[in-house]
Amino acid sequence: MKFRRLFSLGSALLLLLAVFVIDLIRKNVDPEVGGLSIVRDLMLVGAFIQIALVLRAVLAHRAPNPIRKLGLALIATASMLLTTMLLRMAPGAGFDAKNFALLPLDYATQFAASLLGFTFSVFGVIVILLLAELVLFKRKRSTLRNYRIFLVLLALTALSTLTLLPLESSVVTGILFGLAVAFAIINSFRLSWIVYLTKREKVFSLLYGFCLFGCFTVINIIIGQSGPTQEALLYYSLPMKQVVSLACIFGNVYFGMTFVSTLFHLPTAEAFERKTTEISSLHNLSRLVTQVFDFQELVETVSTMTLQVCEARSCWLELLHPFAGTAPAGSSAAVAAAGYHVEVVGMKNITTEEIDDLLSNRRHALREEVFAGRKPLVVDDVRRDPRFAHLKRGSTRVASMIVVPLISHTGPLGILYVTKENEYGFFKDDVDVVSAFADQATVAIENSRLIKKSIERERLLREMMLAQEMQRKLLPQSLPDLAVLDLAALSTPAFEVGGDYYDVLRIDDHRLGIVVGDVSGKGVSAAFYMSEVKGIFQSLGKLYPSPREFMIKANEALADSIDKHSFISLIYVVVDLTSGTLTLSRAGHCPLLLVSGGTGRYVRPPGMGLGLSRGATFAGSIEEQTIALREGDLCVLYTDGVTEARRGDDEFGYDRLLETAVRAHAGSAAGVKEEILDNVKRHAEQEAHDDDLTIVVLKWRGGNGVRHIVSSLAETVR
Amino acid sequence: MSEFKIARRETDNIHVLELKGYLDAHTAPKLEEAFQTLLKDERYRIVVNCKDLSYISSAGLGVFMAFIEDVRKNQGDIKLSNLSAKVYNVFDLLGFPLLYDIVPDEAEAVRRFFDATRPSR
Repeated sequence: MKFRRLFSLGSALLLLLAVFVIDLIRKNVDPEVGGLSIVRDLMLVGAFIQIALVLRAVLAHRAPNPIRKLGLALIATASMLLTTMLLRMAPGAGFDAKNFALLPLDYATQFAASLLGFTFSVFGVIVILLLAELVLFKRKRSTLRNYRIFLVLLALTALSTLTLLPLESSVVTGILFGLAVAFAIINSFRLSWIVYLTKREKVFSLLYGFCLFGCFTVINIIIGQSGPTQEALLYYSLPMKQVVSLACIFGNVYFGMTFVSTLFHLPTAEAFERKTTEISSLHNLSRLVTQVFDFQELVETVSTMTLQVCEARSCWLELLHPFAGTAPAGSSAAVAAAGYHVEVVGMKNITTEEIDDLLSNRRHALREEVFAGRKPLVVDDVRRDPRFAHLKRGSTRVASMIVVPLISHTGPLGILYVTKENEYGFFKDDVDVVSAFADQATVAIENSRLIKKSIERERLLREMMLAQEMQRKLLPQSLPDLAVLDLAALSTPAFEVGGDYYDVLRIDDHRLGIVVGDVSGKGVSAAFYMSEVKGIFQSLGKLYPSPREFMIKANEALADSIDKHSFISLIYVVVDLTSGTLTLSRAGHCPLLLVSGGTGRYVRPPGMGLGLSRGATFAGSIEEQTIALREGDLCVLYTDGVTEARRGDDEFGYDRLLETAVRAHAGSAAGVKEEILDNVKRHAEQEAHDDDLTIVVLKWRGGNGVRHIVSSLAETVR
Repeated sequence: MSEFKIARRETDNIHVLELKGYLDAHTAPKLEEAFQTLLKDERYRIVVNCKDLSYISSAGLGVFMAFIEDVRKNQGDIKLSNLSAKVYNVFDLLGFPLLYDIVPDEAEAVRRFFDATRPSR
């Protein structure tokens, strides 16, 4: 790119130099000789086309703003004017006009003329380039077309003079020149950039336009009059003279128009500026909708921008915080009736006291009014409005205000108050823009709340996952592997955490305690009780090897901590591995399923749930039962998640459980457990798994070698 | 699935709650609310008719536990009547018959309230 520019510039310079040398050589020769003048003119035109290309690239990034372009134009024009004046004072004898040709009388004249011609040509190119950028600002299709026609006419005018002598004129050139001027005028109506100027910029535009118009007028007079400057230009190059003349006429007309147009735009500058601010504020706010992580900042921005858009005196936001159920303590009757309490935020240029003074006890009525109306309420004159009859004379500076409801699809979110210190301070467009603004704010606030909620939910979910992990660790990580007793167990919570519990405990060297329990309710509270039961079982289990005694002690231990609508059902079996007996007590839990000799039955000693009653009533209800185990006997402990698994109204029930266990009783404990689980799942396949489910299966292998059994128990159960 | 309804009647200053459908963790708050209303109005003689109650979970049972103490403190009672075999089994499993008056039909429950109050007058 740089190289290309350098090359263009170099070639232009070479051409210009060549022309200059040619001129020196044939100082006193008629230009018509040998058609050399056409070649010379073409060389010049070529050189300036190269210069134009380089200048266009340079200028394109120089002045992005129209005012800067005007400034640049003014600098160029003023410099040009100055150069012209200086060169007019240059010494020289002038030209000799002969046969329509101009012959310089001395070298000084020739040199000055060449310099002037060159400068003017460059100036012409700059003017055309700058005007192009201004004309093509916010272009339409016709804009570009009109400008191109002008350029083509300019080129044709220039080329039509190639064969002419400096002082000759032709009809064709005249017509083309006239057309070019006409299109320059047409293009001069393209002044759309003025509209977008700020007021300050418009003042500059006016000034620059005036100066430019003045400079161009002077220049046009100078080059339009017959005199040394015109002669110099004609001598330098007839085609370039056309370009310069047209550029200067274009500049003169365009900047004249600029001046006049700016003058007319000046009164509306302020209104336009305000609209622009409104639009950009709204745009900013719509971007803000995505910045919802800092609520405080959001509110701050909303109120700041509100002030900006309608040039208000003060503003603030009221946010509604609905509460569920009863009103918090200390809230007023109105608050309790409304079902929300109100937070005042984003106060700008106003204090809480001032707001209280202004709205006083009308606050709630005002709120209800705008929520009912669902549109902004405009109070044109606060002092004369019946809503503000409570205000004493001179007690507030607020003279007019808008009250805008912020209503999302879920209901009212809050209210935006905007005030001014003059009566009738809000026009219709203020109301419109504040409404639009309020809509954006509503979305932003709503989003912010939703995000907060979802972050909270995410956090809770993580906590629950953690709780689930913790709870899983409360269940036995492995079951003892015994020669005489085959064990299998499974527990799955319905939600992240559950209230089901099972555990295994070595009571002494020949007794093993197995407990299955169910805490009323589900979820977190159930999980807490479950962990408490675990603690109780681990500590009391060894102290009270009798299941009945254990139940009574556990009930006592739980009595203080359990709340009155919760209870825990437990079934506790103690297996004596040496005698092959099983002792159990049941506290409100599902009965034990025993399959012995191929037939099944439920073993259900009486006993109420833990936590239902204290002391004697409970102790009186609990009984203990002992069963002698035979080889191959199967015991199933479970929770109501098994029997109450439903398909529609049809529960899995005790009968199906018994049938399943009987059918599978020949298999291993794990096999029986799987079989039961499969059947339960198959039964309830359509239904969501909505209860905790626990199955513990014991299979008595029996046989001799008690001593061996005991030692193995001592090793495996810690 | 969790269809649950409560109808409230009053006979001879005894309040009858008729339960219908599934009483589980989701629907238990409804029953809780019904009891709360009764207690707020100082109605302590309550019969819960479970004729159409098809299912009760432990959370449902918990509701009865939550109010019995208050009711009895005020010389009242919560009596249960017309339980289906299945629902009775759930109550029975937990040992509720030891704590609550569970009777076959509503008339019997009402009669028991009068039997209990007559000697004291």
